[in-house]
Amino acid sequence: MVNLSVNAFRNRDVVSVKDFSRDELDALFKTASDVEANPGDYRDVFPDKRVALLFSEPSTRTYGSFEASATNLGCKILSNRDPAATSFAKGETLHDTIRMIESYDTDCIVMRDKRWGSSRYAAEVTELPVISGGSGSREHPTQAMLDLYTILKRRGRLDNVKLAFVGDLRYGRTCSSLSYGLGKYDGVELVFVAPPILQVRREVEIHLQQVGVPYTKTSNLGEAIEDMDVLYVTRVQKERFPDPTDFERIRGSYVVDMELVRRGKPGLGVMHPLPRVDELSPEIDRTEHCWYFEQAANGIPIRTALLYLVLGD
Amino acid sequence: MENQLLVRKIDHGTVIDHIPAWRAENVLKLLDLEKIRGMPDVSLVSLNNVLSKKYGRKDVIKLNHYHLEEGDADLVCLVFPMVSVNYIEDWEPTKYKPRVPERVLGRIRCPEVSCITNSPREPIVSTFSVLREFNALQCEYCDSLLDFSEMPNYVKTT
Repeated sequence: MVNLSVNAFRNRDVVSVKDFSRDELDALFKTASDVEANPGDYRDVFPDKRVALLFSEPSTRTYGSFEASATNLGCKILSNRDPAATSFAKGETLHDTIRMIESYDTDCIVMRDKRWGSSRYAAEVTELPVISGGSGSREHPTQAMLDLYTILKRRGRLDNVKLAFVGDLRYGRTCSSLSYGLGKYDGVELVFVAPPILQVRREVEIHLQQVGVPYTKTSNLGEAIEDMDVLYVTRVQKERFPDPTDFERIRGSYVVDMELVRRGKPGLGVMHPLPRVDELSPEIDRTEHCWYFEQAANGIPIRTALLYLVLGD
Repeated sequence: MENQLLVRKIDHGTVIDHIPAWRAENVLKLLDLEKIRGMPDVSLVSLNNVLSKKYGRKDVIKLNHYHLEEGDADLVCLVFPMVSVNYIEDWEPTKYKPRVPERVLGRIRCPEVSCITNSPREPIVSTFSVLREFNALQCEYCDSLLDFSEMPNYVKTT
């Protein structure tokens, strides 16, 4: 079992990756690595802990991996798997829901709610640690943590990484969260590749300026890919375009296939938060560029490590 | 001569001066007018596009028998940095030195409709960090940005 001199995650809220230092993230990754190497050390260690999974929005991957992680640790689960059958549907305030969950002998709340900023609010309402499973369209901190962990495992380091985000950078929370996470490391360069109406949001740009991370914005994926270490792909959705013909005109420009990947560096890694539709070609799946399946699998060690540290001593 | 006819001095109250011409309406939005309306001894005069030695033309708001709260004065100065606020006591003005607040609580609505602070019945107060170098407020819950110039459009009515 990993030995940390200080557990900075104990009883801690996980609402934004911005709230954590580089050292704290490194400690999380060290623990996640140990979870992978020695899974038995983490099996059933918290039989007296209860984790509440409050998801008022549909989720398969995030919910599933938190449920699996908590179960592996031996925790009891309190769940509202069917949001329509819960007090949310009856119009209860989030405040009251959180206070009720608190009283059910709960030790930690993992939540996803469509209202932006709801995790931050829930963390204020309760003394219990609150972990965001993605609230609104702003952030998805544990996704960023597993994304960082993936890059670390593949490259050996996070410093000096050059990463291009592609696709819907305006409404996709993975872009903003991972940008905030990479901003903790040295020598990082970011490129945001998107049609103008889906470009990165201004508050992300402001944050990167505040922490001194250089970045560029472009709509030309073919040019952007040449110098990159990592390509992070998200889907451009037709519904985001007021005029559907605009979508049809640009959709092919943001598809990632082997022809595009060959224009990049030999060791280029391709990531995607999944699920994918047609923006990421299956021909990449069996190549060394495919990082996305391992990325998805890293959700278990990261979320297990996170729960272990948050619930632990 | 024009200003002598239009701009009378007040003996006690607040003068908000050097408002950009035709922008007094936006300053009024930032004031707690509901509270002011409830005070029978208070009178308010709003002057538009009067002569200004400094700026050519300006707007002025005079609140007779009303001391504008310093927090509101700070908000006005955040949106309109050239504005000056004077407190009048026995006909004598004292210039108020505005402070740039670090945070703005409760007075401004988050521009993001889906923000938890806009949820009805939640016991939550809107909270913004002031990003002075970017001329914007940032919601501390959802990270949404609100340019200073847009603040008058998002004032919460009491």
